[in-house]
Amino acid sequence: MALTTAPNPTPPARETVRASAKSRRPGRTRHGEGLAGYVFLSPWLLGLMAVTAIPMLLSLYLSFTNYDILTDLSDVEWVGLANYERMFTADPSYWHAVQVTLSFGLIAVPLKLAAALGVALLLNRAWRGVGLFRGLFYLPSLLGGSVALAIVWVSMFNRDGAFNSFLSLFGIEGKPWVNDPDWSLETLMVLAIWQFGAPMVIFLAGLKQVPTELYEAAAVDGANKLRQFLNITLPMLSPVIFFNLVLETINGFQGFTAAFVLSNGTGGPVDSTLMYTLNLYITGFTELEMGYASAMAWVFLVAIALITVVFFSTGRFWVHYSDGDGN
Amino acid sequence: MHPATPPTANAPAARGHRTLHRRGLLRITAAMVALPLVLGATACGGDEEPSTDPNAKVELSIFWWGGEARAKLTEEALALYTAKHPNVTFKKTWQANQGYFDKLATLTAGGDAPDIFQIDDNYLTEYASRNTTLDLTKYKDEGKLDVSKFPKSLYEYGVVDGKFAGVAFGENTQGLVYNKSLLQKHSLPEPTTGMTWEAFIAWAANASKVTKVPGTMDPSADYKALWVWLRQQGKDLYKGKELGFTADDVTKWFELWKGARDQGATPTADVIHEGNATDITKQLVVTGKAGTSFVWANQMPELKKNTKDELGVIAYPGDPSAQWARASMYFSVFGKSKKADVAVDVINFLANDPEAGKVLGTDRGLPSNLDVRKTVSDSVNDPAMKQSIQVSNDLGTKFGPSPQVPLKGHSKVRSELIKFAEEVQYGRQQPAQAAAAYFEAAKAAIA
Repeated sequence: MALTTAPNPTPPARETVRASAKSRRPGRTRHGEGLAGYVFLSPWLLGLMAVTAIPMLLSLYLSFTNYDILTDLSDVEWVGLANYERMFTADPSYWHAVQVTLSFGLIAVPLKLAAALGVALLLNRAWRGVGLFRGLFYLPSLLGGSVALAIVWVSMFNRDGAFNSFLSLFGIEGKPWVNDPDWSLETLMVLAIWQFGAPMVIFLAGLKQVPTELYEAAAVDGANKLRQFLNITLPMLSPVIFFNLVLETINGFQGFTAAFVLSNGTGGPVDSTLMYTLNLYITGFTELEMGYASAMAWVFLVAIALITVVFFSTGRFWVHYSDGDGN
Repeated sequence: MHPATPPTANAPAARGHRTLHRRGLLRITAAMVALPLVLGATACGGDEEPSTDPNAKVELSIFWWGGEARAKLTEEALALYTAKHPNVTFKKTWQANQGYFDKLATLTAGGDAPDIFQIDDNYLTEYASRNTTLDLTKYKDEGKLDVSKFPKSLYEYGVVDGKFAGVAFGENTQGLVYNKSLLQKHSLPEPTTGMTWEAFIAWAANASKVTKVPGTMDPSADYKALWVWLRQQGKDLYKGKELGFTADDVTKWFELWKGARDQGATPTADVIHEGNATDITKQLVVTGKAGTSFVWANQMPELKKNTKDELGVIAYPGDPSAQWARASMYFSVFGKSKKADVAVDVINFLANDPEAGKVLGTDRGLPSNLDVRKTVSDSVNDPAMKQSIQVSNDLGTKFGPSPQVPLKGHSKVRSELIKFAEEVQYGRQQPAQAAAAYFEAAKAAIA
């Protein structure tokens, strides 16, 4: 006992300091801490108010008006639900954009997650130089929604692009991918899938958390790799899958930059890349119908919120939180 | 924000340092709240009150679209103005046509539109009907803005519903640009003004066969080609507040070009799609993907910069009297500019001063002021400008009357035409089906 306490005379002293500090703080201390918190938060908070919250509320108001950008805000006319009515009853290109966005999201998001998980599984092993590969696979997603990347993509996938030169090595005649209405959206999907780095890194982190004993126990019981994957990896990874799914779905539906660049801001050829946000942009800024575009934005917000709610409510059937099991 | 209760009121002396601390925090909070307000206030106070002193320093903002050549000429002409009026300086911004009007609209929404901006008839009605452009009638009547040397039709082209919204900065007309070098290499005849559309398409089909380069761009998605063609059929793009054509007219137009594609006169749909971009550098005649492009005659010098080949320019096929002297673009003054008087004087200078005219040349089209136009034609050295003057003068003798300025919703009328023409080009819809759908969409756009 003496041996252990002798070299450590400080802990009791620290206790005293802490105790006295505590005794010095009256009930108002919490308030003070809260205040300090807000002060430290204020740069962000002010930014949030000025560039997000206030414009958002304003756009909610504008969605009930005929605001056209050029007219003064004080002169806009209240049109009630007319914008929403038009969207749902009289605007075929709106529904076309919804369809384009849905097919983009429903195909690109699952494939991107599958690619991310597959590569994460491969990179979860202790190979030589695996760190380098992790970095390389992560790289494309760092370039994110970059315009430069979209321009490169267009030049790779047009008629005289690198991809067709590659195909011609095998005697296959390519297509003008980005300028072909049957393939332009698919080209955008491939671009989105290729940027699987961000969910991959999250999957990798999740895989590292799966206790190795589980695999050892399963191996002892004679489970093969596939069974181990289905019965251990997937359930243990389900919270991470859930997280990635929610995030990537929201991102996927909001895709804008690549479609804008590929189509010169028109959504062409023949509206094949008219993503929801691009249609909204054209409506607001090119056709000057900002009130209508605001209504589109709010419907979009509600739709994405609903999709997220659906994910969360179904999540409890398939997402397995190991620490919830009395761990 | 926070109630400034004196913190020392019931505080024991032992808390003295804490009080200070709290005060400090309050100060920081106040500063953080106040700072953006102060900054915001200065930003709002940026526009000085109009001064009565004619020599007071003024900085005018001016915004235009165009290429580097235009930027150089415009900056030179503005420098001339500053040399004569040293108190006036300019904040110049320019960019490519793509995205120009998105940005102009955004600047206007922020109340921060440039004092002077370039605009064309695609948007003039939209801006004028909302009073975003200043009505210049007063200045014209007071003699501060002189348009007396303009052709009457050119001045009137900038008047929308009785408001003088834009000062025309050049006259031009539709021009069919063809690759002279390519034709000469294969000893093919050059197309000529006045050829019928059918004869032109047959010529192009032959050119494709001989040169292995598609003879002509397919202009079925191009509103200005459709417009000229409609006028040749006795119709028009707009008539009063309505469309000046029927779905049947569009069907015939789409069928004309479907026939041309079947004969091999035009490139494949994906190449046509590339040429449907407004960007000059993507026009097929300069990218070498077709023998001709349908453009505006004043774009010749800019097109020439993008190719090594010799280019020629004639009127669009059909009767050239369907073409008209169009105001290629205008300069307008922002309706809420506090420096409107100076801005108008600058526009007056750029439009009427012979020296400024010489600098600007024909980059925006033939100068609007006929005296300046004569000086420029006599003295111009640039061969591409010489050519476009020559062509415009030749065509000028054959022009018919100008149509009305496009209606509100015109930009959508244009973009929908691209969409439905491409439906036909890609073979996804029959001409009649696409034409009917286009007609409905165009009607909705101007409603």
